[in-house]
Amino acid sequence: MPKLIMTLQHAGLYAGFELRRLWLTRRGLMTLAATTVLWFFLLRYAIAPASDLIASEGFQQMFRDVFGAFGLSQLFAWPVPELAIYWILSLLLLPLLCLFFTANQLCSDLERGTLRLLALRSSRLSIVLGRFSGQMLVQSCLILLSLVATLSLAAWREGGLTLAMLNAAAIIAVNLLLVLLPFTALMSCFSAMVRSSRLAVSLAIVSLGLAFVLLSTFVFYFPDFLFLLGYMPGTQVMQLLPMQGWQTLQHAMLPLLQTLVLLSGATMLLTRKAL
Amino acid sequence: MNTIIQCQQLAKRFGSKTVLQQLSFELHQGDVAALIGPNGAGKTTLFSILCGYLRPDIGNARIFGHKAGSSALFGKVAALPQDAQFDPAFSIGEQLDFYGRLQGLSSKTAREESKRVLALVDLTEQLQHKAGALSHGMRKRAAIAQAFIGAPQLVLLDEPTAGLDPVNALHIRQLISRLSGEVSFMISSHNIFELEQLCNNVLYLENGQLKQHSNSDNTVQQLQHLTLHLEQDNSDAISAALRQLPGLIDLHCAQRRELVLSYNPQHNADFDLAVLQCLAANGWRYRNLTKGQTLEQKLFSPV
Repeated sequence: MPKLIMTLQHAGLYAGFELRRLWLTRRGLMTLAATTVLWFFLLRYAIAPASDLIASEGFQQMFRDVFGAFGLSQLFAWPVPELAIYWILSLLLLPLLCLFFTANQLCSDLERGTLRLLALRSSRLSIVLGRFSGQMLVQSCLILLSLVATLSLAAWREGGLTLAMLNAAAIIAVNLLLVLLPFTALMSCFSAMVRSSRLAVSLAIVSLGLAFVLLSTFVFYFPDFLFLLGYMPGTQVMQLLPMQGWQTLQHAMLPLLQTLVLLSGATMLLTRKAL
Repeated sequence: MNTIIQCQQLAKRFGSKTVLQQLSFELHQGDVAALIGPNGAGKTTLFSILCGYLRPDIGNARIFGHKAGSSALFGKVAALPQDAQFDPAFSIGEQLDFYGRLQGLSSKTAREESKRVLALVDLTEQLQHKAGALSHGMRKRAAIAQAFIGAPQLVLLDEPTAGLDPVNALHIRQLISRLSGEVSFMISSHNIFELEQLCNNVLYLENGQLKQHSNSDNTVQQLQHLTLHLEQDNSDAISAALRQLPGLIDLHCAQRRELVLSYNPQHNADFDLAVLQCLAANGWRYRNLTKGQTLEQKLFSPV
């Protein structure tokens, strides 16, 4: 069997196994429960009241006067305010939550030696790709569930579901997954480095913060290199906030490239690591 | 004879500590090789290199002509790595199924294979149980079971019976013995009795170096051994009488009641009979007379 096909097949098996972990294991069900609780509070105490406020003409006028210059008035272009609030909240929250949810891609298996049993049957590249794909599938499920809840809220207030709402939800889902790709790949790297998911999260937060501070300092003295800040994972989030519609995909290339680089790094780290 | 493992000038260091140095050996198809050595001799490091978990600093390890850890060896080489545990979130059956799927089996075949290998280690009833619910010994047996999924041609077992009760240790030895014709094994253990029963090839490691590499097939025909267990303590009279026997090359007292006699069979083909006649003639009683030396004697005795 050609190597590439075998790698992809193994990656698919790993991804499927991670999906089973979400739906069929205690730990996975706890993740689902935590997500449900989180989104219940966000929907109940943030999205629902804010949607009512946004729907009022007076608020929209005031918002346009204050934030119109920043392009944020584009938020009113979403078919329903619930999706606009969901868009902002998820763009800002999910990258951070992603660091926690996807931290254990390899750590536990490294710690308990399960990776030794797996490495006898599949390449380390397929392990990295499979676990990464699995985490993306798991996050897709969580995003879809929360989007369905938000759409239900909007449909209840509006009195029905429209095609425009479904289209907007699809745009949001695709964009969120694109935003989460480099963060999940970043956690692949850190989980290949250390044997504890907590340490992986700490390392990721410290590294991202340190990289931002160092880069900002560098740019302060050498302003010509300002463009470097644009290569940090998640920098396109601020550009995406005032946007809506499929035009948001014009920012897709950067996270895809970042993901490719970070996954290559994770594979290299795991390949060189003694199991 | 087909070479299955070929190690050339392997060396590995961890920091300033040299764990393996200039290690070269070959194992052939059908061999059941014992890897023996004191703690810290480098046995687990050698295992890790052969499994592809570690890279040697110098030299190379090839299995079936491929670099250790290569994808060409998936499914051909299986192992019981030291301290490797199953994922506690899934049942043993689910994980064995998954390993089978990774080895290219269909879902149905993988499930049948899981049942078969669990039956090999007498764990059929634990198929649905999670690893965390099993005892240490059961987990160890399940870990041994995963090494037999599919049709491996070489199985590397690191301390396969450590922590098992005597009955299950016996079952594992019987399993290895039963499969040893079709599968090659390399077994690391501190249990010399066990290795003696199972292995035809011994690699003795000390301080990362190969001190001895003996094969039962290439025994020097000019020198054979008898191990004699007496019912009474050895005495000068017994030793003196045995030293008179034609063909005897050396005699030494391994333990208080145990004598090892080295002789040349070309000078006396019936040396064992001569020993028995000598004992009978003098009225000395013996417990048993074994041809050859024990592995312990081969490795650690001065002769």
